[in-house]
Amino acid sequence: MRKGILELCILSIISDEQEAYPSDIIKRLEESQMIVVQGTLYPLLARLKSAGLLDYTWKESGAGPPRKYYSLTSDGHEFLDGLMDTWNQLVAAVKHSTRSLTANKKAK
Amino acid sequence: MNKVFNINLGGIAFTIDSDAYEHLSNYLETIHHHFRASEGYEEITADIEARMAELFQERLENRPIVTLQDVKHVIAIMGTPEDFGAEPMGDEAPKSSSRGKWKFKTGKRLFRNTEEVVIGGVCSGISAYFGIEDPLWVRLFFVLITISGGVGIPLYIILWAVLPKAETASDRLAMRGEKANVSNIGKIIEEEVAHVSKKMSELGDELKAEFGSKKKAPRRRTILKENAVLPMAGFISEPPLPRGFMF
Repeated sequence: MRKGILELCILSIISDEQEAYPSDIIKRLEESQMIVVQGTLYPLLARLKSAGLLDYTWKESGAGPPRKYYSLTSDGHEFLDGLMDTWNQLVAAVKHSTRSLTANKKAK
Repeated sequence: MNKVFNINLGGIAFTIDSDAYEHLSNYLETIHHHFRASEGYEEITADIEARMAELFQERLENRPIVTLQDVKHVIAIMGTPEDFGAEPMGDEAPKSSSRGKWKFKTGKRLFRNTEEVVIGGVCSGISAYFGIEDPLWVRLFFVLITISGGVGIPLYIILWAVLPKAETASDRLAMRGEKANVSNIGKIIEEEVAHVSKKMSELGDELKAEFGSKKKAPRRRTILKENAVLPMAGFISEPPLPRGFMF
């Protein structure tokens, strides 16, 4: 479950940046406290890539070895849209089911 | 004072303390082991190494040498494979299941210990398996059951035929129930080198005794020692490096 959400976040970050360097993805994920350890990202990227949702290109960097930049494939964009829909439905459903609880809290 | 190594991590050169180096290579070994079965194995591990190199660079700034502290810090950031998520990528199914009849929960396996042999190394293999310090006790046990019931000799021959020889370093670790990681394999190789050189110097003494001083003629001792040297000739011809050891 949490992994699925993490995938959603990764895909949307990459789609947002268009071409994303893994370390920058990590930075954004850490800002939103989505990952605890950085090593989590790499197997996920590899899996998304082998599923055909991501692709990467090598780019020279100013200093040091060339870097991998990930971008979404067209399948990836489609998949992200689908995920986003599911996510919104889920959020709506959870909000709906817990509305009495949140209302009570507000009353207190 | 500390020895340093020069390493290439993710395409960047680092100078690293020896204890830090050991810690780091242990960590990378577990990473490689964890992802070995998964798709994109090389990419994942290369990416992780590259990221670690980046973290080292950030942390070092202008310091010249990576210390153990730096390695621990970076490993804490990257996390261990257990932290990466519950499911191991790919299947790690054949773990404790039936990979060998002789494999028990301890992770130990029964081997014939070719390093300490009287006849076939069966007794010393058994004592290594049960963690008995001196194989003499197992040998005594075999002698005892030979005398009392006579099953000793056939039993020994069966075990000799059935048990595999502990040939590689990882076999020898499995025999003692130690994990086959980098530092342990290193240890075994060191032991082997020490073992071979000890045997060689014994052989040297032997020859000296044989051809040198025939005055005192320690005849009996020599004969005994010849027996001890014989199995070792076979040992030397086998390469002491384990198969599949890639580092």
